[in-house]
Amino acid sequence: MKNQWLEFYKGIVKVRTSGRGIERFINMLTRDGISVWNVKSHGTHALTFEMKLEDAKKLRTYARKSECKIEFIKRKGLPFMQKRMLKNSGFLIGAIGFILVIFVLSNMVWGIEIKGANPATEYKMMKQLKEIGVKKGKLQFFIDTPEGIQRHLTNSIEEITWVGVELKGTTYHLQVVEKNEPEKPEYVSPQNLVAKKKGTIVGMFVEEGLPVVKINDFVKPGDLLVSGEMGNDVKVETVAAKGEVFAETWYKSDVSYPLKKTSQVYTGNEKIKHSLNFDLFRLPIWGFGKIGFEQYEVEENEKKFKFLKWELPISYVEKTYRESEQMTKVYDHKEAIEEAKKLARNKIKNDLGENVEIKGENVLHQAVDNGKVTLSIHFQIIENIAEGQPIIQGDTE
Amino acid sequence: MAKKWGQLLKSWMTKNMELPQDVMMDLPRITMIGQIHIYIENHRGLLAFSDKEVRLLLEQGQLLIKGNAFVIKTILPEEILLEGKIDQVIYIT
Repeated sequence: MKNQWLEFYKGIVKVRTSGRGIERFINMLTRDGISVWNVKSHGTHALTFEMKLEDAKKLRTYARKSECKIEFIKRKGLPFMQKRMLKNSGFLIGAIGFILVIFVLSNMVWGIEIKGANPATEYKMMKQLKEIGVKKGKLQFFIDTPEGIQRHLTNSIEEITWVGVELKGTTYHLQVVEKNEPEKPEYVSPQNLVAKKKGTIVGMFVEEGLPVVKINDFVKPGDLLVSGEMGNDVKVETVAAKGEVFAETWYKSDVSYPLKKTSQVYTGNEKIKHSLNFDLFRLPIWGFGKIGFEQYEVEENEKKFKFLKWELPISYVEKTYRESEQMTKVYDHKEAIEEAKKLARNKIKNDLGENVEIKGENVLHQAVDNGKVTLSIHFQIIENIAEGQPIIQGDTE
Repeated sequence: MAKKWGQLLKSWMTKNMELPQDVMMDLPRITMIGQIHIYIENHRGLLAFSDKEVRLLLEQGQLLIKGNAFVIKTILPEEILLEGKIDQVIYIT
């Protein structure tokens, strides 16, 4: 049997012949190398058979030689299918277009919801979002990651302390915590101010209450600083003492600092690679070639393609390779001591809060051993040592 | 007379040289698969074709195939593959 597939590619026609001497007609065709198959008889003087499309043109001349009538009754094969497809291509284009449109729409931003912000802040946020390209109708591929948006918003808008950005489907949900949230009126019960640390008083700022210590007084923890009991001997009124009492306090801090320090720094050279990741394999789109850096760090940014509510196993990945370098810095003793002091200062500020003032520092002891500088520093610090202590009514009487 | 001598020579050669007879003597080689297929090589053309009867011209005489629902699957100048239900194969000389 012949392989019919080749014929199928080139096109097959089904022919019906009728008339006298159809057998002779078939013999004539086969003798001249025109292949004919599936010959079936229909009644006494009619046959149908199939033949190649390219031979069909020659058929007329043979038909004229014999006394047969021919008609083409069926067309099969690729050429005809192509023709039909071209005729019906509108449907196909429509279907593909429809899927494409849904696909594009599924990857768009359809809404931005801001919760927890007052209208003014919300307006500001909207403006900022628009600036970085987050707005309705934008494609999600060109938008920063939620983390990036979060960072940008918290950096650029001062009114907000924290913003949570979440992408749910096609909507960005932003949860805002504002800084100037109306403070709850704090009810303060009558109280005294007492010292929480030992120190020498250097300054006072009393809003409410009666100060009982003077500048240059030395106080120990628990000593009364500002009394909440006001008035004369006849009538005592208790108030909530309020204010700040600054005192000089002392801290000792031990720090050590290495003489040789290695750190990772970026050189600023980077290479970005874009690719489409399918489930198992990745198709690079842009950024070919070797990375060419000896040491580098990779940052990967993946964006999933979505179709309606489903996530497709295809994603767009942007990889940033940043060249890094090992930097070894060697300090001499003096520098190391300076660095150690800086470190100690930062440590103190971290522990006590930003609003302390370092009045003076004395290095008590310093040593260099094992490639390290060890310092013991004595700090004089001015800070608020006042602490509220409720007045218990029963005690005073 | 000359043709006769040629025929005799051919049959003598096939007998003594062990050559296949269909090649030497222009005889048809007929292969049948049960009742459903018949494959005839070395025919000389189609004489009559209907779905109950097929008549083929041979070098000597004719071959008549009877049956029903005949379809010629392939036809080449000297070969034919016939499909259907074959009842009889008759030589007419």
